[in-house]
Amino acid sequence: MRDSFSTFHPFVNFLYFVVVLLFSMVFMHPIFQVIALISAVVYSFMLKGKKAVRFNLLYMVPFLLFMAIMNPVFNHQGVTILFYLNNGNPITKESILYGVAAACMFVTVIIWFSCYNVVMTSDKFIYIFGKILPALSLIFSMVLRFVPRYLAQIKVISNAQKCIGRDVTQGNLLARARNGITILSIMTTWALENAIETADSMKSRGYGLPGRTSFSIFRLDARDKVALLIMTGLIAMVAIGAAMGENTMRYYPSIKASAITPFSILVYIAYFALCMIPVLINMVEAMKWKSIESKN
Amino acid sequence: MEIYRIEELSFTFPEQEQMALSNINLTIAGGDFITICGKSGCGKSTLLRQLKTILTPHGKRQGAIYYKGQPVEEIDGRTQAAEIGYVLQSPDNQIVTDKVWHELAFGLESLGYDNSTIRLRVAEMASFFGIQTWFHKSVTELSGGQKQLLNLAAIMAMHPAVLILDEPTSQLDPIAASDFLETVKKINRELGTTVIMTEHRLEDVLPLTDRLIVLNEGVVIADDTPQKVGEALSKLNHPMFLSMPSPMQIYAGVENDLAWPVTVKEGRQWLDAFLEDKTPASIAESQPSSKVDGPVVIKFKDVWFKYDKHGPDIIKDLSFEVKRGQFYCIVGGNGTGKTSTLSLMSGILQPYRGKALIGGKNPAKMNAKELFTNNLGILPQNPQTLFVKKTVELDLYEMLSQLPLTKEEKVAKVEAVVKFAELEHLLSMHPYDLSGGEQQRTALAKVLLLEPKILLLDEPTKGLDGPFKEKLALFLQKLNAEGVTIVMVSHDVEFCAKYAEVCAMFFDGSIITTNEAQKFFAGNSFYTTAANRMARHVWSEGVTIEGVIDLCQRSR
Amino acid sequence: MSTKQVTGRRLSRRTLLAGLLIFVVIPATILLGIFVLDDRKYYFISLLIVLYTMIPFAMVFENRKPQARELIVIAVLAAIAVAGRAAFFMLPQFKPVVAIVIIAGVSLGAEAGFLVGAVAGFVSNFFFGQGPWTPWQMFCFGIIGFLAGIFFKKGLLKKTKLSLCIFGGLATLLVYGGIINIGSLMMFTSEFSWSALMTTYVSAFWFDMVHAISTVVFLFFIANPMIEKLDRIKTKYGLIEP
Repeated sequence: MRDSFSTFHPFVNFLYFVVVLLFSMVFMHPIFQVIALISAVVYSFMLKGKKAVRFNLLYMVPFLLFMAIMNPVFNHQGVTILFYLNNGNPITKESILYGVAAACMFVTVIIWFSCYNVVMTSDKFIYIFGKILPALSLIFSMVLRFVPRYLAQIKVISNAQKCIGRDVTQGNLLARARNGITILSIMTTWALENAIETADSMKSRGYGLPGRTSFSIFRLDARDKVALLIMTGLIAMVAIGAAMGENTMRYYPSIKASAITPFSILVYIAYFALCMIPVLINMVEAMKWKSIESKN
Repeated sequence: MEIYRIEELSFTFPEQEQMALSNINLTIAGGDFITICGKSGCGKSTLLRQLKTILTPHGKRQGAIYYKGQPVEEIDGRTQAAEIGYVLQSPDNQIVTDKVWHELAFGLESLGYDNSTIRLRVAEMASFFGIQTWFHKSVTELSGGQKQLLNLAAIMAMHPAVLILDEPTSQLDPIAASDFLETVKKINRELGTTVIMTEHRLEDVLPLTDRLIVLNEGVVIADDTPQKVGEALSKLNHPMFLSMPSPMQIYAGVENDLAWPVTVKEGRQWLDAFLEDKTPASIAESQPSSKVDGPVVIKFKDVWFKYDKHGPDIIKDLSFEVKRGQFYCIVGGNGTGKTSTLSLMSGILQPYRGKALIGGKNPAKMNAKELFTNNLGILPQNPQTLFVKKTVELDLYEMLSQLPLTKEEKVAKVEAVVKFAELEHLLSMHPYDLSGGEQQRTALAKVLLLEPKILLLDEPTKGLDGPFKEKLALFLQKLNAEGVTIVMVSHDVEFCAKYAEVCAMFFDGSIITTNEAQKFFAGNSFYTTAANRMARHVWSEGVTIEGVIDLCQRSR
Repeated sequence: MSTKQVTGRRLSRRTLLAGLLIFVVIPATILLGIFVLDDRKYYFISLLIVLYTMIPFAMVFENRKPQARELIVIAVLAAIAVAGRAAFFMLPQFKPVVAIVIIAGVSLGAEAGFLVGAVAGFVSNFFFGQGPWTPWQMFCFGIIGFLAGIFFKKGLLKKTKLSLCIFGGLATLLVYGGIINIGSLMMFTSEFSWSALMTTYVSAFWFDMVHAISTVVFLFFIANPMIEKLDRIKTKYGLIEP
């Protein structure tokens, strides 16, 4: 299905990802962690469907287990000693649990990034930084334009070289390496010489005149403002909760989490709502469509 | 209103004695459509680049250029950027950003317009050019012709008063080129924008042109309406006359005092008027092909090819043969599979069904040495993909570096090929400093060092002007006479009609028809030369300019 | 006259910013991390410091209002590095990025070297996926380009194969490997310990080694032709001087 959160203003998208990434990395409290992990997994399914299932099961689960095992092997803090290793180092309950928590955090971050990569396309990123870093974001845009072009050109050159008997896939290792380097070298000359015309084209269209603006096809509309308002509210709630210590979690020397209180439940709900914003938006949108279609 | 006034303009590049431009005087009125032509290196681009100071190369300039009555160097950058639009040759190199919408807005961003103005201007331009549907695309997804249209639209978004185009269609195929020129015409007619362009494809441009200027070695030798310029050049017997459209050349070859034709339509009318009181000459018996049938060197039998397992078939049931010593041309539209066929011949691609054989063997199974030494030589579409070293000479020797030859043998080989391709004066230059035609010749020389028996060429005339094409044809004929088989893929109908022995029409992944060049084009009604289109209602077999002239002269 | 003023202002602004960063923002970050972030402090402090170091480069570059040709050359080199990384995608850790960044630093100066590195690190992740490693990669590639430029200017690095290969190998192994491993360690653990760092270094040693060797190989083959090509472009079109 189409992701309607992606159609929001880039600033909304970017703020969302910055906040969830930051919170996922900082909050080590198990309830916060589980909320973030579930939200990230659900959203990634929504964005990528089957591909996400495979990615999460094939890479993320083994990684989570591996990390959970590795931490106690190297980290021997904690008071509850379960047993001793051959080399005399203790394995503690605290370090195992910390390993699980750290792995969970890392996996969550990776899954958030996999969503980020789908939603925050390059043009959104360039839009956000176009105002503060105009020259650099123009460079980004140019590099994004050049890379596919260069990859295609590498192919063309490699075919042309093949036709004069210089094939990267034939000959001994030295000959192949030499041919590969030749291709890179031809590519470089070609890229640099042709770039001069690109520079001419930029100058010809007035690049370098003072007062350059940065155009975008994005507009902050009412829907975006509402989303921003809600997000700010939720972020404030979570931040207040964090300041009040609701997310505090101590692993060493002994495990100590802050207790669950009515206030903390409120904070959990706020955090859950914040993380689930894209999912909720998608669900609302889907329902709206259903009702429109049923009326027709 | 006068847009440009050029007075006594001369220009010399640094460290060069000869003037690139000398004593140029021109006045360009607003709304004119001006075409500048001349051989490569005659100073066309240099002249255009004088018209916008930010693009002017370093060098010594004398004389003055006035834009709307003011010296051009006194006009501030902002005005120049906005009012003088400049489209360059390569569709790819001009594009700066990765998205179509951003590219359209690029110039307006530089000029500092606010978001809503840019939005309006970009929307207007996208609608005018009919490119709304690609608005959100990545530029990588566009074809060459679309990219060049995008470049034009991006310039037009700034509402220039004058549009300067430097060989904008030289990298495009004929269909994309005429689309592009149609759009330029529309801009000139409907918006009144002054157009100054340089162009090789005079057949397509002259019907649009108000004024044709011919440059030769930096001097203006003719400046008038296309008809008058044609007349003048033909009187001077100037080599540039060979670049004029076929109807003009045919007209000049026949004694008459009717009005000069420019387009095929006018050519037909002229021919009808000319033949009114005469009986058209009958066509001489076409002499049977003098070539003896050699053995088959390239054989395709029921070849099928696709890039992906699930992708569409690119080559469908293709069978053909090329005999030793033939000059074989494959013509046809874009994306019909012509270049893939060349790749199948060279073993870069492999058919999934059927056989492609070179000298009876499967090229994909031969090793590079066997296939490409003394056997198959391929000139790629872009000669720049072959250049490795910093001078032409080193580049030629690089080609032999992997062969077991003594130094003397290498020197002898290089000298021979240099003489053949006439590269003597270019040896110490950087390959990228050469002109398009010179690059083509250097690349050809590189390929010839491997002494191929079969030469495959992919669009060798792309971007070349008339005289250079002529020269290339001479080289190819020389090689052909030495027994080299030549297979060429091309869009260039005129070139194939004039020089090829056998032509094949490619369509939808296969060859539709094959015949000797003359019969081939005589049998087509649209996909044929301008001379044939002009004369086919009288002589369907008149294919080349020379042929039609001869027939006209024999009509009494 | 006016250019002088501009350079003067630019220098002072750069110094001011650097001073502000070193004396105010970085200590503030460290304090904030220690008192507020608790057990995630190491990761955040290190990450923020990495980001701060990149800011002055970006600011100076933006304030300078770079010319079209400057942008183009940086973009071309970064794109070649990214395309090179993509072309050798099949061989893990066998990347030409560091080699190209070093060449950029040597031929175009320290600032361009940094930018080519940081941009290449950033944009390559548009193709391979952004992740928590992005800022670290940007920083590592950037700083290698910067060092190459500085060392070349000070005469410690020469445009010879030997000198470039030694610098490239060491820079990849020590600077890139050294910093990137700190980054990945901080991501996982709450406590910083030398033994954990050593373990990370040891376990990543072969990856870093292959990366270093690939840099040396690339520099050995492409350094001279590439520097030659850049010099040609610089003289032919009057580009940026280092």
